[in-house]
Amino acid sequence: MSSLTSYAEGNLKLNLLHRGWQRFLGFLFPSESDTWLAVFRIGLGLQVTLYAVFLRSDWHYLFASSGKGLIGREIGEAISSFDSPLIPKFDWLIAVGRMLNISEEAVLTIAWVSLLSAGCLLLLGLFSRPAAVVAWFVHLCAAESGGLLAYGADAFTTTALFYLMLSPLPDRYSFDQWVTKSEPKNPHALGFWHRVLQVHLCFVYFIGGLAKCLGNGWWDGSNLWRALIRTPFNLVPPDVLIRFKHALPVLGISICLLEVSYPVFIWMKKTRGIWLVCILAMHAAIGLLMGLYFFALIMIVMNLAAFGVPYSSRRTQATSVSTEH
Amino acid sequence: MCLKRVYAAWFGIHFFLVTAVCLAGVFWLIAQGSTILPSPFDKYARKGELVATWCLGKEAAPSNPVRLVIATYLHAAGIQAGYSFFAPNVPSHHRLTLELFYKDGRIEYESPRARGRAAALRLDSLLDRLPEKRYEPIREIVLKMLAFSVWREHPDIQRVRATFEAVHLPSIVDYEHGKAEMIEPMFSFDFSLRGEEQQ
Repeated sequence: MSSLTSYAEGNLKLNLLHRGWQRFLGFLFPSESDTWLAVFRIGLGLQVTLYAVFLRSDWHYLFASSGKGLIGREIGEAISSFDSPLIPKFDWLIAVGRMLNISEEAVLTIAWVSLLSAGCLLLLGLFSRPAAVVAWFVHLCAAESGGLLAYGADAFTTTALFYLMLSPLPDRYSFDQWVTKSEPKNPHALGFWHRVLQVHLCFVYFIGGLAKCLGNGWWDGSNLWRALIRTPFNLVPPDVLIRFKHALPVLGISICLLEVSYPVFIWMKKTRGIWLVCILAMHAAIGLLMGLYFFALIMIVMNLAAFGVPYSSRRTQATSVSTEH
Repeated sequence: MCLKRVYAAWFGIHFFLVTAVCLAGVFWLIAQGSTILPSPFDKYARKGELVATWCLGKEAAPSNPVRLVIATYLHAAGIQAGYSFFAPNVPSHHRLTLELFYKDGRIEYESPRARGRAAALRLDSLLDRLPEKRYEPIREIVLKMLAFSVWREHPDIQRVRATFEAVHLPSIVDYEHGKAEMIEPMFSFDFSLRGEEQQ
C-alpha cells in the first residue's frame, strides 16, 4: 500500500515537473511574426551606419598601432587577450593583411568600409544574415581593439548584433524576401529570439535599477545633477538645471523605480505601454541632454524591437504565418 | 522537440552567465563600501562576488580552457560587463593636462583631443577608467601614449609633464553659493620625448 502511495506521489511530482517544463517551453517558444525582427534589423542597421559615419574621421586615430594613433590598439588588444586570446580583434585582420601584402592602414579602411556597408545592407535587408555577421564581427573587433576607449553603447551594440545574426533572418520586410520569395520563418523560432531579447532587457534594467537604488545620490537627485554637469555630458548649462532643482529628486527616484520594476510591469498588458513610453523618454532624454546619442539609439532600438510591436497584431500575423505553413 | 531542448539549454546557460556577470558587478559595488548598505554587508558581498566570479571561471588558471571559452563567449555576446552605469553614484570625472616644454624655454598646455564628438566621448571614458586600481599597471604607458599623440603635432618639444587630475563637482547648494569644481591632482609623469624618439 505504502509503495503504491509513494509511486503515486512520484508520478504526481513527475507530472508537475513535466507540466512546468511544458509551460517553460511555451514561454520560450511563443508563436510570433517577424515584425519585431524587421524593427530590430532596421534599427541596428541605422546604429551601425551612424557608428561608422561618426567615427570616420577618427577611425585610424583610434585603431592604429602604437606611435600612429591615440594610444595604439595594442593596449586594448593585450587586455582583451589577457581575458582570452580567442576574442576577435583587429590584429587578426591586420595579420591576414600582412600575409597578403596589404598595409595596416588599408586593412583598417577595409574594415571601416565593411562596417558601413554591413550597416547599409542591414537597413535595406539585403544579404541580411551575412551583413549581420560582418557587422557583429567588425564591431566586436573595434570594441575589443579599442578596449579602454569602449563604453556602454559598444557592449549593447555587440549584444544586439549577436542576437540579430542568430535570429531567423531575413524578415518579410527585407529586400532578401522580396528577391528570393523564400518560405516564411518558423514562428516559434522567431518567438524564441524575441523572448531572448525581452529577457535580456529585463536583466539590464533590473540590475541597473538595483545598483542605482544602492546609491544615496539617486534618492536626493544629486546624481542627476552630477551626471548632467560633468564633462562631456554638460550640454545643459547648470544655471538652467538649477531652475528645476526641486524636480531632480523626483526624477532620480523615478528612474530607480522605473528601471528596477521594468521586469514586472513591462510584461503586464495594462502597464506595458506606460513603462515602454517612460523608458523610451528616459533614453531620448539621455541622448539629447547628455549627448550620448549612440547609447540612446541602441537602447531605443532594443526596447522597440522587444516590446514596441503590439501583441495583438503579432498574434494575428503569427497565426497567418502558421497557416501558410 | 530536440532542437527546442538545445535552444532551451542555450537560453539557460546564456542567462546564467548574464546573471553571474551582473551579480559580480553588484557585489563588487557593495564590497567597495560605496553603497547605502551598512558595512557588515561588505564581507558577504565579497563572498558573493567570489562565487559569481568562480561561476565565470575567473578563479581558474588563465590558461584553463573552461575559463577561456567562457571569456570568449562573454566578449562575443557583449555581456562581459554588468549594467551598473552611473551606479551606485555618479563618479568624479578626470582630466589630463600636458605641460609641453619646448627647446626654446616656452611652456604650453595641451590636452589629448579627437576630431569628432563620438571619439572625444571615448577619450573621456578612457580617462575616467585610468584611476581604477586594475588599470594601475598600464596607467603610465597609456599616459605616455597620450603624451606621444600630442608630441607628434609639436615635434620641437623637449619634455612633457602629464598631470592627471580628478575633477570634483560642486553640489547644487555649493554651486548656488558660487563654488566651482575642485581639482585634485592624482599623479603626474615626466616624459623626455626627445629620448623616446632616439630609441
